[in-house]
Amino acid sequence: MEGYLGVDVGSVSTNLVIMDEKDDLLAYVYRRTMGQPIVAVQEGLKELEEKLPASVEVRGAGTTGSARYLSGVIAGADIVKNEITAHAVAASHVVPDAQTVLEIGGQDSKLIIIREGVVVDFAMNTVCAAGTGSFLDHQAARLGIPIEEFGSYALKSKSAAQIAGRCTVFAESDMIHKQQIGYRLEDIIYGLCQALVRNYLNNLAKGKEILSPVVFQGGVAANLGIRRAFGEALESEIVVPEYYHVMGAIGAALLAKEAVEGRTAPSNFKGFSAAEIKYETSSFHCKGCSNNCEIVKIEVGGRVLARWGGRCGKWEVEQVEEAVAGPI
Amino acid sequence: MPKIGVPRALLYYKYFPLWKTFFEGLGAEVVVSPPTNKRILNLGTETAESEACLPVKVFYGHALALKGEVDALFVPRVVSVEGKAYTCPKFLGLPDMIKALDDDLPPVLGTTFNLRQGWRRFFASIYELGSHLTRNPLKILRAFYNGARELKIFDQKLREGSLVPEALGETDFKNLANPTLTIGVVGHPYNIFDSYVSMNLVKRLHRRGAKVLTPEMVPPEAIEESISSLPKSLFWTYEKDVVGAIFYWLENNMVNGIIYMISFACGPDSLIQVLVEQEARKISPVPLMPLVIDEHSGEAGLVTRLEAFLDMIDRKRARVH
Repeated sequence: MEGYLGVDVGSVSTNLVIMDEKDDLLAYVYRRTMGQPIVAVQEGLKELEEKLPASVEVRGAGTTGSARYLSGVIAGADIVKNEITAHAVAASHVVPDAQTVLEIGGQDSKLIIIREGVVVDFAMNTVCAAGTGSFLDHQAARLGIPIEEFGSYALKSKSAAQIAGRCTVFAESDMIHKQQIGYRLEDIIYGLCQALVRNYLNNLAKGKEILSPVVFQGGVAANLGIRRAFGEALESEIVVPEYYHVMGAIGAALLAKEAVEGRTAPSNFKGFSAAEIKYETSSFHCKGCSNNCEIVKIEVGGRVLARWGGRCGKWEVEQVEEAVAGPI
Repeated sequence: MPKIGVPRALLYYKYFPLWKTFFEGLGAEVVVSPPTNKRILNLGTETAESEACLPVKVFYGHALALKGEVDALFVPRVVSVEGKAYTCPKFLGLPDMIKALDDDLPPVLGTTFNLRQGWRRFFASIYELGSHLTRNPLKILRAFYNGARELKIFDQKLREGSLVPEALGETDFKNLANPTLTIGVVGHPYNIFDSYVSMNLVKRLHRRGAKVLTPEMVPPEAIEESISSLPKSLFWTYEKDVVGAIFYWLENNMVNGIIYMISFACGPDSLIQVLVEQEARKISPVPLMPLVIDEHSGEAGLVTRLEAFLDMIDRKRARVH
């Protein structure tokens, strides 16, 4: 059986999927990045291999997410794509007539407008990460509620508290204040969900035409309170795909299939044994000019696989696979 | 020979050929600060008051970089460059801001230029500036005319398709000859063409096969005509160029996409961005993406957005074919 690997390494989670030749999901892994993207990808590959039937042969690999270039080197990618494209491709695959994609991840949020299957507009949060997954994690921990149950509290709310969502620091002060004057926990939590949704829409959706079907994906889509708040704010049904939390990886796998189509050369994929390779990363400040760029280097057994971070082309490694040549 | 320092920032990208010819015609040597680098940016951000915008902070860095290198710093107060519009309010205070920076800075030549007050006052300003170097009014006038001619040649090069750095003499800054797509890049030239500040936006686009159009390439008459449909005339000259160029490209179907580079905390741009986003959509579905930059220079964010934007255009075109 043929399979296509998709890897999405973000700030909070690392997701890997294998899609079969009919574009159906064969297996997936969702794990925390824990600040160690290389380990996360390698462990993820191991875990994924265990979940797969032995007959699967990986014909293509794609990576996305903020660590897409790094994971592209680790896994051996045929294509490295930004998160917007990957999420849009995945959303259109799962919900073919999707027109709007809301995606909230660990530290960023995106709004993608799709018409007739192609992206026509998008927005990413600019200078502020208020209302993303990390903040919800933090608040759940502060209130002593497991993040998995956080959203279900919000569903019990009958009258949401008004929370200032402009800035997470102020939102937290506001929540503490509301607790101290006796608001019910569920009303505070739902108030927070509403504030985050308001902030998202004010930041990203200004002037954009949001049409149904609206697909909500990314880790935060697990949160029932945020789903409810989006539904109420947009007065629309919110579609949450079954594998909402690994949509970026699904998109990367679909893009990998597209990339290797008609190609005779074998995939760049290094195989699941890439999990055993010992990668060394190091960084240094280039002293070549007064920019003092920080150059990051990835090596295996003394051989430099990739180097990036410089503003000029001086440190770029020759003869790396084209797909992982580093950011444009 | 007296040395006059010109910070490589702000209006340098608009008028440098005029300034250089003018001062050299009066027997001065013109010294330009080096291209922006980390040290210059840090110098600027450390000294500037926090509400200043990024390009003003960069200007501070360049002025400070010339400390001890020159006999005077040229920091004109450019209030208005045409009859009925003004430049950014920050430009109005620039010489005072620089004078207040550091006591050890060379003296500041901070002549006011305000075309709102007519040509007579303008020439009085030219004379005032020139009189720091000579007493001979004819010599000043001749230096100004020569400078104006150089500026005209510079503007002509831009109109014919050169990018600002190329027209200023940077040979490795040629536009693409065989592009696969054309992207309009609008915003202030001091952001876009300061490679450090813009994180090499133009060269990144070149690498992806995109030819870059900028407002400088659009004839002034076309700009005026394009914005005449707006219910109210625009207050700021340089923002007028941004709006006019966008409308012109969209009306004439000249670009596959438009990138609007804005520096965080830019007052005029924060208003114009909203106007442009609303109005552009009425003309054409060609995508327009604002890119906000600041001194924290998050390169990853810029790269992701840029990649997504170009992918969007590519995939859309692939669908059509």
